[in-house]
Amino acid sequence: MPARSPDTDSAYPWTEKVLPSQLEAIREAEVDVMDRLSRQGYDEDHQFAIRLAFEEALVNAMKHGNRMDPARRVTLAYRVSPECVQIHVRDEGTGFDAGCVPDPTTDENLQRPCGRGIMLMRSYMDTVSFACCGKEVQMVKYRRPGVGQGTP
Amino acid sequence: MNIQTREEGGCRVIAIAGSADVEASAALRESLLGAIEGGSKCVICDLGRTDFICSDALGVLITAYLKARMRGGFVRLADPQQHLKEVLSTTRLDHLFDVFPDVNGAIGGCKGKPR
Repeated sequence: MPARSPDTDSAYPWTEKVLPSQLEAIREAEVDVMDRLSRQGYDEDHQFAIRLAFEEALVNAMKHGNRMDPARRVTLAYRVSPECVQIHVRDEGTGFDAGCVPDPTTDENLQRPCGRGIMLMRSYMDTVSFACCGKEVQMVKYRRPGVGQGTP
Repeated sequence: MNIQTREEGGCRVIAIAGSADVEASAALRESLLGAIEGGSKCVICDLGRTDFICSDALGVLITAYLKARMRGGFVRLADPQQHLKEVLSTTRLDHLFDVFPDVNGAIGGCKGKPR
């Protein structure tokens, strides 16, 4: 996992977990993140959005990145502070170009059963970026609308 | 997630309570596709108590929709709550599915269509 932004507040440190490529492994990490959100008073809309993006990122890493190969792991790092939630997910696959993923909302793609994960992450988080040739996704959700998005 | 199935108004109503997350997708697939393959032409997903849905579960709904349509049937969505409405809108799947405010409306919407 590449260097993350330095911790300016040690009260809210990064948590890092290494998960097997098993969908069942998502739940434990998800419960921990949701518990932190709840304890810090994030509202239901934020909780729904973050849970959705969190699950989509991990499922993408396991299914599309690691191809569910049990020998490949997913490295997860997250930080829940009163101001924002930061999530980094990295797989051990070959990477991909996020710019080449077809838009699932166009009429011609609407009937495709898959391909909505990245679009949902982008829709529900404030920032979503890809690093390491697409092997790592980095997402942020701010507590207050507009913060970090260049709007007042 | 808890799935309960019933017959109502000539339709198979599948009520999905809780989270339709990636772990629940297999059970959702089994229920939906099982109903269609078992001969149900009109399948209604009651989303009134569904508090979460992921892209995997959306994919199951789409697969069921396509399979039902190939057999001359329908899959309709009923009573999605606010967060699910937003997901359906964000993904534009509210343009693919007929979405009804309640199960009765979905059943009524099915009437007069092939069974």
